[in-house]
Amino acid sequence: MSDEILIKAQGLTKQFISYKKPPGLKGSFSAFFKREKKVKDAVKDFSFEIKKGEIIGLLGPNGAGKTTLMKMFTGIIVPSFGELKILGSNPWERDKNFRKRIALVMGQKSQLWWDIPAMDSFLLLQKYYEVSDEAFKARIDKMSDLLGVKDLLHIHVRKLSLGERMKMELMASLLHNPEVIFLDEPTIGLDLVAQENIRRFIKDYHQENRCSIIITSHYMQDVQALCDRLVLIFDGKKGYDGSLEDFESILGNEKSVSFTFSAPQDRENPLWKDYAATWNEDTTHVDFRVPEDQLRSLSAQIISQCEVDDFATEKLPIERVMKELMNNPEILRQHD
Amino acid sequence: MKHYWNVYKKFVSTSVSVETSFRTSFILLVLMDIFFFASTVGSVSFIYDHVATIGPWGKNQLLFFITFMLMIDNLHMMIFSQSFWEFSFSIRTGQLDYTLLKPLHTIFSVFFRHFRASSVVNTPLFLGSLIYNGMKINLSFLDWCLMPVFLILGLVLLVIIEFILSTSMFWMTDGTGINFLRMQMQQLARWPEFVYRGVIRKVLMTVLPVLLIGSGPVHFLLGGKWNNLALMGGMIVVLGFVLSFVWGVGLRRYDSASS
Repeated sequence: MSDEILIKAQGLTKQFISYKKPPGLKGSFSAFFKREKKVKDAVKDFSFEIKKGEIIGLLGPNGAGKTTLMKMFTGIIVPSFGELKILGSNPWERDKNFRKRIALVMGQKSQLWWDIPAMDSFLLLQKYYEVSDEAFKARIDKMSDLLGVKDLLHIHVRKLSLGERMKMELMASLLHNPEVIFLDEPTIGLDLVAQENIRRFIKDYHQENRCSIIITSHYMQDVQALCDRLVLIFDGKKGYDGSLEDFESILGNEKSVSFTFSAPQDRENPLWKDYAATWNEDTTHVDFRVPEDQLRSLSAQIISQCEVDDFATEKLPIERVMKELMNNPEILRQHD
Repeated sequence: MKHYWNVYKKFVSTSVSVETSFRTSFILLVLMDIFFFASTVGSVSFIYDHVATIGPWGKNQLLFFITFMLMIDNLHMMIFSQSFWEFSFSIRTGQLDYTLLKPLHTIFSVFFRHFRASSVVNTPLFLGSLIYNGMKINLSFLDWCLMPVFLILGLVLLVIIEFILSTSMFWMTDGTGINFLRMQMQQLARWPEFVYRGVIRKVLMTVLPVLLIGSGPVHFLLGGKWNNLALMGGMIVVLGFVLSFVWGVGLRRYDSASS
């Protein structure tokens, strides 16, 4: 990764105006003449930088502003306030050379023509991006091989499965060898195998091309497999920006621990009483989180005092950290 | 320009590929165009069975005007019409996002994207009819040479007006009303300017100058009158600037549908 900054956002804000409409016919009539305007900050005062070669996960709950950010980064929509430079350009000036250096994949929208084979769309994109015949052929061969879709290139897009179509979408977006790639939920709705294939492909592509990637996803596996750095966004504001390692320890250096006992236990036992333990119905199995430095002594005490059938410990899953933060975003403020 | 031409050739081939996959629909579109042509020419012919002149023109002059406008209509259907409908849909669904990312002028990417191959099938009918009616009014060699230029100018003026009207879809989101307004404008333009009177005529010659599309060139070809043709040229330039401005404002206004 180089120190060259490819993306620099400063105080980026996007406001959307929407109108409230009361339900029913009466509501329709009244809203036709008088509408209640509502201004919403989809993104508010968002600042960050991305270096060349970085791969960043942009996470947040639904409606947090992730896609709005992606659309501002690519110049599709114009920010209400703030400054943004990507590859030295203002995206919304829509400079031709800028548009040739970026790519966007949206998991919920398609740029392929529905009624023709994907290859016909690729040929059109070749002309759009002025890709030479040799480079086009080489990239199609390589990507279709890696993604295992060589036999599907000449099938009508409408006949492809969701996973196959997403692979074609990725190929379509990478044909012109972009320097910055924006992936907006590229694995949404895919089965586990397809998700894994897409992740592996993105990882290999990044390693080979050293491009910069920003990825939004609801699947933590995407983030764990691909990203070194995470940016969290809540209600349009940046909540966290740092490494995956730091993120995992945001709730403290805790580990998740579980015990299975041969006989029911007392929930009020001081060994676990203070750890917000979760029990099964007959109190023979318990899960709780424990600070890493207490794990060894506490486990030894439990094993020595109770009849333990099974014992497991693991790092706090990233999903759990994320879930905790989504429910309690104020934790981030305390963390700062 | 080569870049644009290479992309446009692909627009045409992909559109043909899509349209010909649905054969019945393709044939219906061809038949619909023929029906539209026959009904328009037939109604003018029928009127002249009962009157000698409409305004200053007899049957041959008006049929020449009508076939001139039908030829422009044929080109419009072929090159642009589908894109106007798709534009409205793509704003509503957010599909426009990908179009705006393409490294070409956005007006080109939006309005030249869909080519209607079924209209090509009928071009010989429209062109043959124009030539036939042109011969009946004894056009000179120079007139015949100017004819393609006038057809292009007429088409350019028509689509610039329509582009400007369509830009309002960035604010309205649902473009159904605008698309019907466009079609109404085309309907008004299919008659010569002397059919209209008063304020309506002034508006349709200056503010929304759809009457100049046919009246400018045809008055010149029939009687060498320059005034409407010059006004038409001026309007193309002025409206070109207006389009460039309002399109830029519209793009800044585009919110994109959420995904």
